[in-house]
Amino acid sequence: MRRLSNLFLMLSMLSFAVPALAQTGEASMGVNWVAIAAGFSMAFASGICALAQGKATAAAAEGLARNPAARPGIQLALILGLALIESLALYTLVIIFAKVK
Amino acid sequence: MPEQLWFTHILNNLFACQVTGLLRAVHFEPKYPQAPIANSAAMEFLVFLILIVLFAAVRSRLSVDKPGALQHIFEGAHGFVNGQSEEIIGHHSEGYTPFLMALGCFILLCNLIGLVPGFESPTAVPVVPLGCAICAFFYYQAQGFKHSGIAYLKHFAGPMPLLAPLMVPIELISHLARMLSLTIRLYANMFAGDMVTLVFFSLVPIGVPIVFLGLHIGVSLLQTYIFVLLTTVYLAGAVAEEH
Repeated sequence: MRRLSNLFLMLSMLSFAVPALAQTGEASMGVNWVAIAAGFSMAFASGICALAQGKATAAAAEGLARNPAARPGIQLALILGLALIESLALYTLVIIFAKVK
Repeated sequence: MPEQLWFTHILNNLFACQVTGLLRAVHFEPKYPQAPIANSAAMEFLVFLILIVLFAAVRSRLSVDKPGALQHIFEGAHGFVNGQSEEIIGHHSEGYTPFLMALGCFILLCNLIGLVPGFESPTAVPVVPLGCAICAFFYYQAQGFKHSGIAYLKHFAGPMPLLAPLMVPIELISHLARMLSLTIRLYANMFAGDMVTLVFFSLVPIGVPIVFLGLHIGVSLLQTYIFVLLTTVYLAGAVAEEH
């Protein structure tokens, strides 16, 4: 079993060589900085949105565990909070679709 | 000639002359004079027709002793919107339920009609959620004025009169930003759902896009609920009385 897992580890490390198959970058039109920045900004926005939503869900679950009778209010606050946080990540997506050619 | 859905094609064949004439009368030249009605406008009109037929069917079959299935569904939905607005706005909230219910039905059907082949969601175009957000915005402002008269403007001044010069621009911008956020939230959710389905369809044509269509159904329901919930919260901010 250990040899099998070693074999898989080595095979996965070979995948690091994949960029060698990529084309050498031709900067004929210049580097598309907007697309690169768009990728990073979307990843950043999604990551932080996920963190915030995780915190909101954790707080709601804890509140529900302490006081199950308050379920309607806690559920309302949770759904509202999640949707508002999600919309912030979506603003980034909309900017990307508006600006990236 | 742009690419048209079959329903848009029918509408354009019937009404293209009149619609182009109307648009030119307000000095707007449509991009394709033979097909002035866009896909999103035609789909909105179709949703409107379906809703009218549905509401007429429910209205004609109302019965106290033997309620049918349609009546049960609509009573359930009405009770849900009513209960929620009562929880958020407080007393005297029944007057707002017709608008919230109509808004919810319209947005829900607009979102879901995109799943049927041959139709597309009108809410996947930025203009349609903007229309819904503008309706909601003017509705809650009008209700605020109706409830408090001209004293409604005190809501924009903040808690203390001394802070008013600072608070008024902030409050104005935040109220306008509500329209923006309602629009973008609905538009981006629907548009992203379509994009993600297309991307996975181009990767794995069989099986995997169904998962994303299922996700799209869930997101449609949730976004409709959120739109109506936020309109209710804004209404509560406009008409609630400080005790």
